[in-house]
Amino acid sequence: MDGDCSSLLPAVCLVLADPKQTPPDDTSLEKLLDWFKDLHSQSNGQVLLEHQPCLLEFISSVCASKATDPAILSFTLKLTGLLAASKQDFHLLEEGGHLVCVFEREAWSVCDLWEDASVRSGWIQGLLNMLKHQQALDFICRQGLIKVILQLQNDRSLFVACLANQLLVQILKLLTPSDVTSGSDAVVSSKSSSSLDWVSVSSEITNAVVEALSSENHPQVLQGVQLLSLVLSQCEEPIRSSLWKDVLPPLEVLINRGSEPLTQPLMTVLRAAVMTPLLGQSEYKVEEFLEVMLGTGNRKEGILCATLIVKLEKCPKVLKRKAMDIILLPLQCVSTQSQDEKEVDLVLKEPLSQKALCISLLVQSLSSLAELAHKEYFEGVCIPSVTSRVVQLLRVCSGHCTSSLLHVSACTHLIGSCKIQRCGLDTLGALSVYEDNLDLRKDIFGVLLDYLKSPDSHATVLKKTFQAVLRWIGVCASFPDLLQFISNDLFPVLEKRMCDVRWEVRDSTLEFITQLTVALSDNSGFVEVLYTSGLVSILLSLLSDTEGYVRASAVTAVGEAVTSSVQQMALVSKINLLEEALAQMMIILSQDTEGFPRRAVVKTFTSWLKGSNPITALDSSLSSVLSLGGNDFDWEVKMHTLELAEALMEKMLTCCPYAVQSFSSSERTRLTQSLSKLKDLGLFDVLLNGLFDCDRPVCEKSCQLLLKLKRLNAEKADFDHDALVLKACGNRWGDEVQSRFLNKQQVKASEHVLIGGGEGTEKDLHCIKEIPLSVILQILDLDDMQRMLKLSSDHVVNSPRSLMEDILSAAQQSEENIVDCY
Amino acid sequence: MPDIKVTPLGAGQDVGRSCILVSIGGKNIMLDCGMHMGFNDDRRFPDFSYITQNGRLTEFLDCVIISHFHLDHCGALPYMSEMVGYDGPIYMTHPTKAICPILLEDFRKITVDKKGETNFFTSQMIKDCMKKVVPLNLHQTVQVDDELEIKAYYAGHVLGAAMVQIKVGSESVVYTGDYNMTPDRHLGAAWIDKCRPDILISESTYATTIRDSKRCRERDFLKKVHETVERGGKVLIPVFALGRAQELCILLETFWERMNLKAPIYFSTGLTEKANHYYKLFITWTNQKIRKTFVQRNMFEFKHIKAFDRSYADNPGPMVVFATPGMLHAGQSLQIFKKWAGNEKNMVIMPGYCVQGTVGHKILNGQKKLEMEGRATLDVKLQVEYMSFSAHADAKGIMQLIRMAEPRNMLLVHGEAKKMEFLKDKIEQEFSISCFMPANGETTTIVTNPSVPVDISLNLLKREMALGGPLPDAKKPRTMHGTLIMKDNSLRLVSPEQALKELGLNEHQLRFTCRVQLHDPHSDTDTLSRIYTHLKSVLKSYSIQHVPDGTVIVESIVIKVTSSAEEPNLKVILLSWSYQDEELGSFLSTLLKKGLPS
Repeated sequence: MDGDCSSLLPAVCLVLADPKQTPPDDTSLEKLLDWFKDLHSQSNGQVLLEHQPCLLEFISSVCASKATDPAILSFTLKLTGLLAASKQDFHLLEEGGHLVCVFEREAWSVCDLWEDASVRSGWIQGLLNMLKHQQALDFICRQGLIKVILQLQNDRSLFVACLANQLLVQILKLLTPSDVTSGSDAVVSSKSSSSLDWVSVSSEITNAVVEALSSENHPQVLQGVQLLSLVLSQCEEPIRSSLWKDVLPPLEVLINRGSEPLTQPLMTVLRAAVMTPLLGQSEYKVEEFLEVMLGTGNRKEGILCATLIVKLEKCPKVLKRKAMDIILLPLQCVSTQSQDEKEVDLVLKEPLSQKALCISLLVQSLSSLAELAHKEYFEGVCIPSVTSRVVQLLRVCSGHCTSSLLHVSACTHLIGSCKIQRCGLDTLGALSVYEDNLDLRKDIFGVLLDYLKSPDSHATVLKKTFQAVLRWIGVCASFPDLLQFISNDLFPVLEKRMCDVRWEVRDSTLEFITQLTVALSDNSGFVEVLYTSGLVSILLSLLSDTEGYVRASAVTAVGEAVTSSVQQMALVSKINLLEEALAQMMIILSQDTEGFPRRAVVKTFTSWLKGSNPITALDSSLSSVLSLGGNDFDWEVKMHTLELAEALMEKMLTCCPYAVQSFSSSERTRLTQSLSKLKDLGLFDVLLNGLFDCDRPVCEKSCQLLLKLKRLNAEKADFDHDALVLKACGNRWGDEVQSRFLNKQQVKASEHVLIGGGEGTEKDLHCIKEIPLSVILQILDLDDMQRMLKLSSDHVVNSPRSLMEDILSAAQQSEENIVDCY
Repeated sequence: MPDIKVTPLGAGQDVGRSCILVSIGGKNIMLDCGMHMGFNDDRRFPDFSYITQNGRLTEFLDCVIISHFHLDHCGALPYMSEMVGYDGPIYMTHPTKAICPILLEDFRKITVDKKGETNFFTSQMIKDCMKKVVPLNLHQTVQVDDELEIKAYYAGHVLGAAMVQIKVGSESVVYTGDYNMTPDRHLGAAWIDKCRPDILISESTYATTIRDSKRCRERDFLKKVHETVERGGKVLIPVFALGRAQELCILLETFWERMNLKAPIYFSTGLTEKANHYYKLFITWTNQKIRKTFVQRNMFEFKHIKAFDRSYADNPGPMVVFATPGMLHAGQSLQIFKKWAGNEKNMVIMPGYCVQGTVGHKILNGQKKLEMEGRATLDVKLQVEYMSFSAHADAKGIMQLIRMAEPRNMLLVHGEAKKMEFLKDKIEQEFSISCFMPANGETTTIVTNPSVPVDISLNLLKREMALGGPLPDAKKPRTMHGTLIMKDNSLRLVSPEQALKELGLNEHQLRFTCRVQLHDPHSDTDTLSRIYTHLKSVLKSYSIQHVPDGTVIVESIVIKVTSSAEEPNLKVILLSWSYQDEELGSFLSTLLKKGLPS
């Protein structure tokens, strides 16, 4: 803790402990705790309480006061726990009786403070903070706090109940020998020294879990199940298996009962259990439970369970097979041919006849398939058949229902269901990883095209369709019929979609075109198709769309189209795309009221500049882009402009890499020419204006680029400085540089006067309309500026000192600012 | 019993970020998804792991509804939809959908600029999130699915703010978001149907305040600005791009016009053009006065307010500048503040909340020396004023809304616990309804008594009419008998005959039979006659028939007498009746068991 903070802390403690003061704003106390947490982690065994006795006084006075605000009490509980996390501070607190005083639950009940959820949660968090060593555990047990914690497990506040579960898990972890013996701060291995009967502590918790699972009260069962999941996923042996053994009978009852509200939490337990060595040991019945869960309860959970089983490494094949069948069943039911009717009908007739259930089953089945497809978990499943079913289902959803389908009633539920459409399209996209499916590409593209064409397709569905199309195009790139599909089928639909009334659709279409162009940019056939279609002219027209998002996406799409056309040089002469694009982009940069399109324009220029094929036509616009972008009121446009400047510098100055030691005269001339060209483009004005910008990131970037220049300048000191004189007047940066220049001049002059020199500073004031770049770079103490910029924290000051000053000044402010909010 | 559960994850007994979960009729809805601007880590967002642990938000939630564009109501939306992964529908009004991304973008821009920021969303994420939004029109019922419907009402507060009614079957909840019951300079007052929801979830920011009229606050603001300008000082008003800025612009514009003032007013950011564009676009959402004026002159085309260039800050003489961001922690507002802070003639007016750590927060707490970057100290000599213009309903307004909507229960959010407590008592006293104020993480459960609508056939009603009694009246419940048919998700009460006909079923008669033995030394025919006479004397108001085939009939009850040849005096009386005459049947069997009068 630095000196400033140590001197402020006592006053802060006094303010916080004063019951007449309203507590500071809700974030201040949390931030103060964050600071103590940092202090604790950096303390290296230092005893905080010894150096800061005000903290002990603070804790005592809060304990003694009956009028403490719940927020302050909660803070004190957490703070005490945090301090007691180190053994030395723990002893100090215990010796002074502070620990008992703070964590004695009864004390807070007397003044009704316990009724406040923030106090209960502070109490648990305090104990959690403290529980870093065995003595803390000892304290909790000795004070009989386990009972209170178990009660809080069923608290009416969700937050408190969850915290109580975490605390119980933490206690059990500390009881686990592996934890006891390992870990630096933790714990002495010989439990025998402790006066406590550890077995009784763990069995108290275990009994509570068993009791909860056997209870008829649903919330209590739920908390028990949640604790069990936490123990399984966080605790080690032997706690894990001993708890599992004890809970097996009631757990078995619960699982066999198949109560619907519990299936999800029970699944969480099983999910945690399969990650442990409990799986594979028949006496622990994990596989048995999984099998029961597959068949009982609501079928959606059955599918979830099946997904879990399919992903298991160690699992009997028969069970995996069964699980896969369960995942596929809903899909089979709605897309099967009539001859299988009887078999399927029996199982899912009822769920599929109810709309909500039917949709939720199919959604679960499809998302499970997508999840498994991503990781290629399908074993022994005919992938093309699954894919065909997904395609068929998507057809049903878009209203193309064929009469041979089984569940006509189910089909009516599915028509137009966005939920299933979105899920189905995700799944279809995911299935593109299987080569076996390539023969189905006609069907797949067919159904995707139907979705793109359909006027009823929801914007979110269209977005998913685009994603699926992109994935399939990616894997079908080598097929000769792909280009035919793109030009004859896809492009006409895209042209239509680019004129959709919904901006969401227009934007998604443009994003898709950009991605498609990037993916197929080296395919000359594609570029030809792109330019012979009417797509490009619509792209250009969308540069003046009413929606800013769309204009920005159009800029990016046009940018990519230009890049691809440049790569295929032959086409460029046929069209004046670049010319038209440049003209419109300049209008956007100078006139657009929204930041996105302007940002997109500058980014596009940067990507053109960085491209492997130079676009000579850019040169005439670069100076305008730099000037407009550098003077934009959106700091991100300015940042992108600086990135453009950086790219420009890289490109023009790379002929003379900075590290090269010796220069030939021709290279020197070239460097001078390059620099003077950069000057003509206005690049230095952008950098210097950026240096004095009101937004820190802009200053930082400008400073970094100017430093680069300075280094170059220093290394190649002999190039022609006169060619690089900048006009200081009329530029924003001019005033700053001038005043710094004058300051230096004055210092020099005064030195001169002292030595006996003459006057003349007044005269100099009017003489510095033009300053050489090299002088500017010298005047500006760029290294110092960069250091300062790195130090600055943007005025949302995060330092503990500022935080404490804020708390103190808020306390002095008598007038309460009425609660307000944006 | 069916119930409705409400769990605030935010705005439960606080004015932080709003995020409230409602479970109604098996549907789960999230109301608002706000961000806390005071943190720079995940604590700024609601903890969605309490909703579902596996990140399967899409499966759990049926929809998300956003009440208005303020970040404490919508700021966590891109995080939830693009980073946590919620793929379901999001509802908000048209203006909110248009303006929300501007504010999110505005905040993202000032956030990514900061150091130590973690896990924040990008521009692309904001756009992708907005693509999932389904826009709402006022008073238009939107079917989220077959069972769940929502309807938006005008809430005042800010452009596009809406209250929303959520309905599943006959159960309903109204969520107010932030609202204002008095019209202000550019917006109208909140209004809702007498929709009698099971729960009205209302904000309670000013739960104990009867606020001084907004006019007073406006006068105060204008006076302060005017005084400063008159004495040649400069006024800085740090604002966010949208919302309060427009309101204050209208205020100053009108004042300047009226007073014929010459000092320039500048707006420092290009965003205002976009913002004003939306106010023009959604003119129907503003108040009547603006709508009327719009015909002659566009209120949002300002004559006196001009675009700001950073060089103007150094101009001599008075001026008023609106600059972003509103908390004075970066950008132009801070740059201008640094220039003007040293002059006591100048003034800064903070019209909104500032998070801890910002220059805005510091000067509002009266700090006079600020350590700026580069460790230079800035002396704050200029006048610092805080003015709240936020448009929330005060205690009176909240009571007014309760009278409008007539809820069965009330639930307060978005307020401070102590103030809520006071209002809760007041509501319970005045309206005799329960009022709840759950803390964050606490669930309030309200048992509902849903009425299930049933159509009644005309025939059945006619038959009921024929029986006499008053005409059917919606306000006076009465019992009807009939057969309930559930078909194609509808319920109808029809006469049993009609039900049989419609469903193509045959009628089956269900009869109860019973044997009673008694000793009677007469022939079977005589015994039957004696029974007939006995019943005639006991059941005077009933029609009793002695049928020649050897039976006595009372209503549906058939009585026969048999005896065996071996014991001719031991008579077995057979009784049989239909279920409608269950009572009479058992009465007769008991009566006959007692024997016949001699």
